[in-house]
Amino acid sequence: MRRAFLNRIAEMIRNEEDTVFFTVDIGMWAIRDELMEYPDRCVNVGIYEDGMFSIAAGMASRGLVPTLFGIQPYLIERTLEQIKMDLAYQKLGVNIVGTGAAVDYSKYGYSHYCAEDVQIIKMIPGCEFVAPGTAKQFLQLFNESYRDGHPTFFRVSDHPNTKYDVDVEFGKANVIQTGNKGTVIAVSVMLDAVMEACNGKDVTVIYYTTLEPFDRKTLAENCSSSKLLIVEPEFEGSLLYDVHKAFPSAELQIDSIAFPREIFRNYGTYDEKMAYYGLTKDVICKKADEFFEIG
Amino acid sequence: MQDISRKLRKEALYLSHRCGDGNLQSVFSCIDIVWVLYDKVMNWSPEKARDDNRDFFIISKGQATLALYPVLIEKGMFDEKEVAREIGNFNSRYCIQTDLTKFQGGIENNAGSLGHGLPFAVGVAYANKIKHSQSLVYVLCGDGEFCEGTMWESCIFSSARHLDNLCIIIDDNDSVGAMVEMGDMQQKLQAFGFDVLKVNGHNLIELEETFMKLKTQKSGRPRAIIAKTKRGYGSQTMEQNDIWFHKSPNEVELSILQKEIDEF
Repeated sequence: MRRAFLNRIAEMIRNEEDTVFFTVDIGMWAIRDELMEYPDRCVNVGIYEDGMFSIAAGMASRGLVPTLFGIQPYLIERTLEQIKMDLAYQKLGVNIVGTGAAVDYSKYGYSHYCAEDVQIIKMIPGCEFVAPGTAKQFLQLFNESYRDGHPTFFRVSDHPNTKYDVDVEFGKANVIQTGNKGTVIAVSVMLDAVMEACNGKDVTVIYYTTLEPFDRKTLAENCSSSKLLIVEPEFEGSLLYDVHKAFPSAELQIDSIAFPREIFRNYGTYDEKMAYYGLTKDVICKKADEFFEIG
Repeated sequence: MQDISRKLRKEALYLSHRCGDGNLQSVFSCIDIVWVLYDKVMNWSPEKARDDNRDFFIISKGQATLALYPVLIEKGMFDEKEVAREIGNFNSRYCIQTDLTKFQGGIENNAGSLGHGLPFAVGVAYANKIKHSQSLVYVLCGDGEFCEGTMWESCIFSSARHLDNLCIIIDDNDSVGAMVEMGDMQQKLQAFGFDVLKVNGHNLIELEETFMKLKTQKSGRPRAIIAKTKRGYGSQTMEQNDIWFHKSPNEVELSILQKEIDEF
């Protein structure tokens, strides 16, 4: 997914004169030619996310299309006031592409984790949040939204889906299968595990890659019961506000499989972490059976 | 003090009275700088306020927005009666800090949080370079604002990218002195790669000469002007009493302070 993004940005730098790309000292090898040939619009800017966001806002106000690349917690948590003041408040379009989804940098510790990302961004009106499940989906979503005039955050995961790679549209959820016992919301890179667990079960599976704006309509129109299981590779409850808004005044039974709201101090590998926190096919399968009373 | 300096201060005072808020000490320290920029230095007029090649004024010390409105009224951009009637009101365009989304020209950025206007201005200046535009960017900062890390991040970028189309004006009203010992700002900025001049921030002629000197200088480096000013300059009461850091005048105070300005 990361490579797909860098190839795309290289293409944009070459072909779109209003594209400006700032990287916070990552990904340079993939764009080494562009760094040399377009030194004004393809820049390894230095390590200062806060200032970089405001500078990007200034460029956007003059009609340029800035895209920023860095590590998720520094792009989102360090720069919160810049996102609020310089991007959202001023209604300026900047693309922010972050590696280090949730616990991708599993051995680096809490400094590099960002399970909070989507919920933080959802709290700032006007921002968009995109979490593709595959490289193809990244390109589909990026190409659709990178000139839409909003601050748009793209979460680039190093652990994409490898089996399920459906076509996606910005702002739209995909109904992957339909059933009667309840609905599973599969978010981003969780689709493979959800489908391995739910394939053949009498449940609806709806797949989300745009998390803000959240497609409430597809959810409301495709739920066959009041039971919803949310499987999300971020902090538990990150989508609850939207799910409730999709069903005004309805009584819902909601359960989730997600990262618990705690500071992770267990390090290890990505797979060890996913297993520990239950973001696996087996746990999803067991919970779906119990929650939806299957079998 | 020249008549225009008196007139602008009295307008700011009146707007503060009308909206029941404001940071007048800070407004009075920088209002002469803002006037000289709009009146003598920048390629700007109300007719050019949306022109792609206009010069830009970015207010980084947003607490001094009440210094900008009187200047824009005087230059014919805004209607005095409208601003006085609406400032601070529910659904008004005229926030106590600027909100560019409510205007089609005239306001270039949203201010309020310190440490944002300078990097935003740097982005505008850098975009102007990319677009091969001749527009210059002037950004008004507070001396206290330089405690924010983003200010120095901006200086690194400006220097590394040779932004000679950027001019930082520091309203040096000794706010920072009450907080920390900053040392020699001229040396610091020079070390960051800036051409730096100092000026009396209340002398309109000196301000104009200094701006024009920097404007014609071709060094390839970003520019900074350290304008020595006084908080509340133009009113003895305000200079001497720090309660006017954040206070608006009531009817009686308005009358007393206006008289003081006339006699200053």
